[in-house]
Parts: sequence; structure tokens; C-alpha cells
Amino acid sequence: MSGRRRDPDYVLYLTVVILLGFGIVMVFSASSIKSFVRYGDSYHFLKRQIIWVVIGLIAMTFTMKVNYQIYRRMAKPILYTTIALLVLVLIPGVGKEINGSQRWLGYGSLTVQPSEIAKLGIIIFMAKYFSDKEEKMQNFMHGLLPPLLVLGVIFGLILKQPDLGTALAIAGSVFIMLFAAGARIGHLAFLASLSLPAVGAMIWLEPYRMRRLTAFLNPQADPQDSGFQILQSLYAIGSGGLVGLGLGRSRQKFFYLPEQHTDFIFAVLGEELGFIGAVTIILLFFLFLWRGYKIAIYSRDTFGSILAVGITSLIGLQAAMNIAIVTSSMPVTGIPLPFISYGGSSLVITLAGVGLLLNISKFSIHQARK
Amino acid sequence: MAGAVNIMVRRRITALFLIMGCISFLLTFRLVWIQFIRSEYYQEEALKQRMREVQVEPKRGIIFDRNKKELAVSASADSVFAVPAEIKNAHKTAEALAEVVDMEVVYLETLLSKKQSFVWIKRKIDDKNSQKIRSLDLDGIGLTEESKRFYPNGTLAAQILGFAGIDSQGLDGLELYYDQYLRGAPGWIVAERDATGRKIPQGEQKYLPPKNGNDVILTIDEVIQYITERELSKAMQETQAKSGTAIVMDPKTGGILALANYPTYDPNHFGKYPQTSWRNASISNSYEPGSTFKTITAAAALEEGKTTINDHFFCSGSIKVGPDRIKCSHTEGHGSQSFADIVKNSCNPGFVTVGQRLGKDVFGKYIKAFGFGEKTGIDLPGEAKGIVRPPEQLRPIDVATNSIGQGIAVTPIQLAVAVSAVANNGKLMQPHLLKEVRSPDEKVIKKVTPTIVRQVISQETAKTLCETLAGVVTKNGTGRNAVIEGYKIAGKTGTAQKPGPHGGYAPGKYVGSFVGFVPADDPRLTVLVSIDEPKGAYYGGTVAAPVVREIMRDSLQYLGIPPSEPIDNDKGQNNTGESSQYLEESLNRTIHVPPLTDLSIVEARQMAKLLGLKVQIMGEGSKVVNQIPKANVRVVPDTTIILYLGDEQKNMAQGNTDQKGKMEVPDVTGKTIRDVAEIISYESMDINIHGSGIAVRQKPHAGEKVNQGTLVEVWFEPPSVHE
Ligand SMILES: [Zn+2]
Repeated sequence: MSGRRRDPDYVLYLTVVILLGFGIVMVFSASSIKSFVRYGDSYHFLKRQIIWVVIGLIAMTFTMKVNYQIYRRMAKPILYTTIALLVLVLIPGVGKEINGSQRWLGYGSLTVQPSEIAKLGIIIFMAKYFSDKEEKMQNFMHGLLPPLLVLGVIFGLILKQPDLGTALAIAGSVFIMLFAAGARIGHLAFLASLSLPAVGAMIWLEPYRMRRLTAFLNPQADPQDSGFQILQSLYAIGSGGLVGLGLGRSRQKFFYLPEQHTDFIFAVLGEELGFIGAVTIILLFFLFLWRGYKIAIYSRDTFGSILAVGITSLIGLQAAMNIAIVTSSMPVTGIPLPFISYGGSSLVITLAGVGLLLNISKFSIHQARK
Repeated sequence: MAGAVNIMVRRRITALFLIMGCISFLLTFRLVWIQFIRSEYYQEEALKQRMREVQVEPKRGIIFDRNKKELAVSASADSVFAVPAEIKNAHKTAEALAEVVDMEVVYLETLLSKKQSFVWIKRKIDDKNSQKIRSLDLDGIGLTEESKRFYPNGTLAAQILGFAGIDSQGLDGLELYYDQYLRGAPGWIVAERDATGRKIPQGEQKYLPPKNGNDVILTIDEVIQYITERELSKAMQETQAKSGTAIVMDPKTGGILALANYPTYDPNHFGKYPQTSWRNASISNSYEPGSTFKTITAAAALEEGKTTINDHFFCSGSIKVGPDRIKCSHTEGHGSQSFADIVKNSCNPGFVTVGQRLGKDVFGKYIKAFGFGEKTGIDLPGEAKGIVRPPEQLRPIDVATNSIGQGIAVTPIQLAVAVSAVANNGKLMQPHLLKEVRSPDEKVIKKVTPTIVRQVISQETAKTLCETLAGVVTKNGTGRNAVIEGYKIAGKTGTAQKPGPHGGYAPGKYVGSFVGFVPADDPRLTVLVSIDEPKGAYYGGTVAAPVVREIMRDSLQYLGIPPSEPIDNDKGQNNTGESSQYLEESLNRTIHVPPLTDLSIVEARQMAKLLGLKVQIMGEGSKVVNQIPKANVRVVPDTTIILYLGDEQKNMAQGNTDQKGKMEVPDVTGKTIRDVAEIISYESMDINIHGSGIAVRQKPHAGEKVNQGTLVEVWFEPPSVHE
């Protein structure tokens, strides 16, 4: 079954392009003041964002062209490379440390985040594993435990950087893939219950996480520290109202909002474009999820299906987490808003993932049936 | 085909999609909550945090002397602040900054790491350091202009002026007393600001301009003040005394022309001087006046008719009062003498007799009437009352000692005011330093008119006493050292022993004083000098009288008060003895600037060269139309006199104006602030002073043509040590 190639899912394609367009506009609006103050050039971040989008689109076109079956064969090497990179970045002197986190590999401005690569790497590996062991998924010891051990290693390595947000997004995606692959609900519930002591242990190791954990419940209590970001974010979104202050009119981006063009860009969007703009973004992501899961359902094989679920869920989960954090609906962990937030590796990997998804859509049986 | 993917996976994915849909819905609901229900609250809170009021300091009023010479001005000075959020490396920034602001790196680092949007590092630094900081160009470190109080004449009139603090609030002296006039009211800028304190473009803002302080014009005359301080400090050096006080006042108005204390301090750096030096001893120190107080005894006795000028008294060298005995300074006794001679000789038994004739009640009434035991109400903070015991408490011995100025404590200002009443036909005037208060737009807000407190003695008595006191300042009177040829001076010497710490008198500790007025027939100046604990000679006639003479001589000359008495031809134009020697000495040190106006440039140059002065020519023309310093000011040799040239027909009110009404900016570099201010104001330009010391830069540059009223910025730097 070499399979006749169909057109890729243009709705998904268009949705992503629209989201990227929002991203470029919002990155410029949110970063221009900071760019000017810090670099004397209002377009500093805009220019870089455009370059990253172009690189990302090239990556997407590439993965869109490459038959996804190839990853099935390469799943193991990809996993080993991922783990090797994650170990490498932790070696002092090899990995670059910025703001207390050791997340980057490379020289000068040419850097990559192994944790971003890990997102796709682990999803590919899991997709292969789950599709190969489809019949064993009901078995905890033989079906679930091996991939969970792999996940544990990668989760631990990323947490060591530390990059809790990415680690959680990966764990969440794998969990969703497990669910989709047909793991027993009882097993999943058991795994979920295991995460509670894990959270406890993490707080015990780094007490600042407790403050972050509770800050979102009552940001006013500690407006100078943990609650500060959240409070500023709420001020921004709240000021937006129905239609917002207008593009470029954010007041909170004047250094009140931290990470105004990266993790908290949705707050600037909410302030400038109001409820209408914010809901448009949520709807676009909802559209993306719909198309992504549709591709999964109509995939030609289980591998493609689980892979599509993984990629779609990863992006959807990150978007949901980001919006939840910015609206003070969950504790703060650094996670970018896919397609919109300023960011290099993350954007390129996300778009590469989208390309993969589009490639799967080309072999969709749904299309063939028509 | 039902599908390559098994049905459960399909179902699970559908379920997943529904779960994700729920999450999307929940997030949307969350947005509804934030953007609709709580929107107003967040909007208000956000605005509240962004709207910041920034106080705009008003310009503190200027303190002028009676001739509108600046005594205290406000110059702009830069203050350093930090915006911690913008500082990337607090340690590095602290290291770079530490030396310039003279602070510990560790302390600075904690300041720079504060979780505040704005932190003051150092307020009102000098211009040199602010330039350095500007050149360092550190992220998160900024400079803002504030107003700094500046006393262009340094120590001159320090205790009168007092000083203002870092927030331009009056802390001492007139700065404190007239703070409500000088202070002004701050303005506000309420503006929407970013987290680092910068204004947000197109943000909300309101501006309420500050109300600048009013100018205070004093009765003090800068030149007389300068003369007084110079002579006092000279006397302090010669006598090695602990402290000294000098007061010059106009007896007819009560206006204080000069008031000096030693040791003194520089109000520009008041923190570097001991607090004791800030004290204005002339109003806050009570001391036993000794013989100078006999003026009051004499006035009371003459007014009450207890004696006439020609009544005779006998002095055996001492007088018995009950069980005690009061000695005369002339231990052999003065024998029989008229009342005039008693005053002239400052004979103790004579005054005791007069005091006894007055009796405690009448004498007490006069003491009170002359203002002792009460504050004079002079416009300075911290005035003392002195110590005067009520008449009913006085024993006979107390009346006797009081009549020779013992057992009573007065402040120098009380005594100067009381003696001025004798000089002013018996009218006791309210002493004051304030002449008027003017708003920044030159409107007179308050004007002080001379106030008669009371008529203490009759005009006739006052005239008689003036004559009598004039007898003191003669070749053979106790005030002989105050004699100035050609002027009739009335006065009284005083020498009082200081009280010891355990009662009684401290051996070897004296206060020598002299108080007098000139010209005796039409008094213009009352001068009081008291020297506290001089080493060696301690008689008022020896230590204080010469100081009074020098102050009077230069002040009379400065005020242009001509001699009224015939000059003794035997002695020629110069004074004799000690007095002329003094003059020569002083001539060796300083030169009287001659009047050079109306002379041709050649004549003026010759005259200046002859006297050892240098000249600098400003403007063009055939004649000198003005000069700085002015004629009669004393200067050290080699001082440069600036000569302004102009044409004869041209009025001297204008500087070197050309036909188009434009003026050339004078070169002020190398000049002191005082001179620069004078030069610039003469040119009808405004000046903005930066820093202190000697002028090093100016803007516009010398020679540039500008309009009247142009603001000339001048930067000053302290003269370097190796120069
Ligand atoms: Zn005698």
C-alpha cells in the first residue's frame, strides 16, 4: 500500500498561517518598547521573529514532503539522539546557561534547545511503540511500563535544566497518547494519582514552586514577587474588555508585564485586542485541534494516528497551559504560546510538527473515500 | 473500509477532542470573567499602579542683601537615581559607580538590587561627578535635575542665613525663620508611567506647576558684613580668643547691617562643621555685659534727674555696699570728678552711687524699658532672653553690681539695641533683618517699616548722654582705641569676668567688649563688638575698641559718610599712634579699589597699576562707565578689576550693547561665582550656576552675540590643589 497522495489539510494549514500572522503582529506590538529601550531598535524582536517563522516554514515544508513512515524506522535513533542531546546540554561548559537555566546548545546566536527537539522525538518514539504494541496496551507491566520509563528519563533530564513547563507538556502529551492508544482507564487513573506525590516531592526540592503554586490563587497577597507577574497579566487582560485598547496600545507592556513578548504575549493580546481577539485565538486553536484529531482518526495506520494525536495534543496542551497560566487559572510555569510567542527552537519544532501532521493528512483514508 | 485505525482509538480521540473542547470553553469562560465582570476593577488597579505623582520642586527664593546682592541662591544640581529593574548586573554597576558617588560597593549593591521601581543613590551631586556618571552611561542609572541651595559667598553671614536641607527646607537662621516665604509650593506631574518610572507616550497626564518661593531682601549690607567679618576674624587671630561677636545696626531704623560671629562655618557644607559653629551667639548667648551696661545706668540716672552731667562724685578707689566692697578699676581712686568724667573713666564707685540713687524699682523699670530680660523679637530663630532679676528680689549689693553691669546677663543684640536707643533720641527700635519680601515677579509682598518699640528716655537726655559717651572715645578716654580722626564717636567699653563653673568668677576669663555709635551727633551706625576669652590683653578698650574702629572706618567710607570734625593739623592727614599704625598694617594687606569710572582707559590703567591692581577691559568706548569690584571695596593686591567701557553719552545702565541691541557674552572663566554673577547681571543676562568654585566653562561662549536676558550657563569647579 504505497498509497496515493492527496492534498494536505488546507484548513489546518490556513489555521496555522493565521496564528503565525497573529504572532508576528503581537510580537512586534509587545516587544517594540523593550526592543527600543534595550537595543535601540524597535524592530529587534520583530526581525528575528520573521526570520524564525521563515525557518519554521521551511522546516514545515520539508516535513510535509517527507513520508512519515520514515520516522517509524528511525524512531529509536531519534530517541537516542534526543537523550544524548539532553545529557549533553547538562554538561557544564557545553550547555549554555541563561537566567539560571541550562537549556541551550550551540554557538553565538545559532542555538537549539534539546528539550524542544525532545518534544517531537519522544512523540515519534511513543507513536511507534504504541502502534507496534497495540495489543499489549492493556497490560501494565509489558505495555505501559517500558515507555513510562523512557518518559521518566527524559522528564528527569528536562527537569534538571530546569524547564518544568516543557517537561510537563511532554508528560501530558505522552499521557494523552497513552489514552488514545487504548490504555486502560484504571491504569491511567493510577498513573495520574502517582503524579500527586511527584508534585509534592518537587515542591519539597524547590520550595519556590510552592509560592508559585499558590500565587495564582491569590496574586494580590504577594504583589512584589510571585504574584507580580500574574497580577500584571490580569491587569492587562482585564483592561482589554470586549474590544481591547487597540493594536499597539497596551499599557502593561511598559515593563509591568514580564516576558511580554514570550510567555505572557497572550496578556498583551488580551489587552490590545480584547475579548474578541482572545477568543479568536482560542477558536483558532480549537480549529487546529479539530483538524489535528480528524487527521488522527482518518489516518491510514495506527502509527500515523497516534503520531497525529501526539503532535496535535502537544500543541493544544501548550496553548491551553499558556492561556491558563496567563489568565491565572493555573500556577505559573514557563511555557510559550505555540505559533504566537516569540521564540526560536520552539517555533521551528512546532512548525516541523505541523508539517508532519500535514504529511499524515496526505495519506488520509477520509480523503480517499471521497 | 471502516478504517485502518481501530475503533477504540477513534473513540478515544473523539473523547479527547471533547475534553479539549471543554477546556477551551472553560478558558473562554475565564476570559469572560476577567474581561467583563472584573474588567473595571483590573483597569482601575492597573491605572492606579501606572499613574505616579512626581513632585516638581519649586525654586526656593533668593536671599538678597539690601542692595540686591545675592546671599543665598538656588542652583540646579543633578541627583543620581537607579531603576533596579533595568540593572542587569548590580555588582558591576555598583563597582563602576562606587567611586564617583563615594559610597561602599556592598551598600550600593543592596540599593541597586532593591525591589523598587525607583531608588535615590545620591542627591545633589556636583557637576563634575554628574558628568562622570553621564559618561559611564550605566543601564538603569539616571540623573535628574534638582535645585540645590547655594551660598555664593561661603561663610559670609553664615549664622544669619542659616542653611536649607537636601529637600530645600530651611533648617537654621533666616532660611528657617522665613521658610514660609522662601519655600514656595511644589508642583506635581501626574503621569502614566512605565514600570521603570518613565512616562508612557500618549499616556494620561496632568501638570500642576510649582509655585516658586519669594525672594527675601535683608537689611544686611554685604559689604559691611564683609568688613565686619574680616575685622572680627582678624581680631580673633590677634587675640587668640575663644569666640567673638560683632553687630552693626542702623540706630534710626533698627535694621541690622551686619552681624557676625566667630567661629563661623560655610553653609554650603554645614554638615562638616560642628553644630556649635551654627549658633548665632549674638542673639542666643547671654553674657555679663560689665561696663558697657553703665550706659543704661547713666541713661536712667540722667532721665530721672538723679544726677546731672556736672554733678560731682568722689572716688576713693572703692565703695562699701553693706558688708561688701566694690573696687574701682583705677585702684588709687579717681578722686573728685564730674558725672561726665565718671562715664569717661568708667568709674565703678561713681556708677554704684548713681545706681543707689535710682533705687531698685526705678532702675529695674529702666532695665526693662531698654529691653533687657525680654527677647528683642529680632527675626531669627533661637533668641535668648538674658537674665534680669525682678526688682523685688534685689538686695542692695545687687543694685550696686547691676549698675556696673554685673549680676545681669544680656545678649549682644539686646545691648546693641539699647545703646541704639540712646543714639536714636531715646527711641528704642525693633531690630530686624528683613527689609522686604518680593514675589518672583517682583511684587512686594511684605515690607518692614521701622518700628518704635517705646520712647525709653527723652530726646534731651539722649543728646546729653551722646555727648557724654563721645567723651569716652577721645585720646584720654577708655575708648581711645576707637578714635577715628574726623569722626565723633560715642561709645562705652566693657570688661567682664566670666562666671566660673562652680559659681563666682573664673580666673583669667574675660569678655572684652565695646559698643558705640557714629557720628555721635547724627548716628548712622551702632557697632558692638565683644571678644570672649582673649589671651593676653583682655580689656574691652584694648581688644574690642580697635575692631569697632576698623569696622566703623571702612563702613563710613563705604557709605560715603563724610568726616564732620575738624582734623587736627598737627597730626596731618593720617591718624596718629596705634591707630595709624593699624591703618598702615591693613594697607599692606588690602587695597581700596579706587573709583575708575569716568576716566579714560589710559588713566584707569595707570591708576590701577599704581595701586597694584590688574584690569580687564570689557566692551568698547572711550571712557570707563562701570567697574567691578566697585570703588572703596577692599581687595588683595593683584586683584583684577573689570572695567566696562562705553561712550560718554551712553548711559551706564547698559553693558556692551551693539546697535542691534545684541550683547557680547563676557568671558567669565577663571572667576568666582560672586564675580561671575555680578558680571553677568551687569550685562542684563541671567545666570544659571552649576557646581561651585571657579568658572571653567560657559554657554554661550565668550564673544557670542546674544539678546538681553539670555540665560548664561556657567559651570564651576573647585580650584585644584596644585594650582
Ligand atoms: Zn573710680
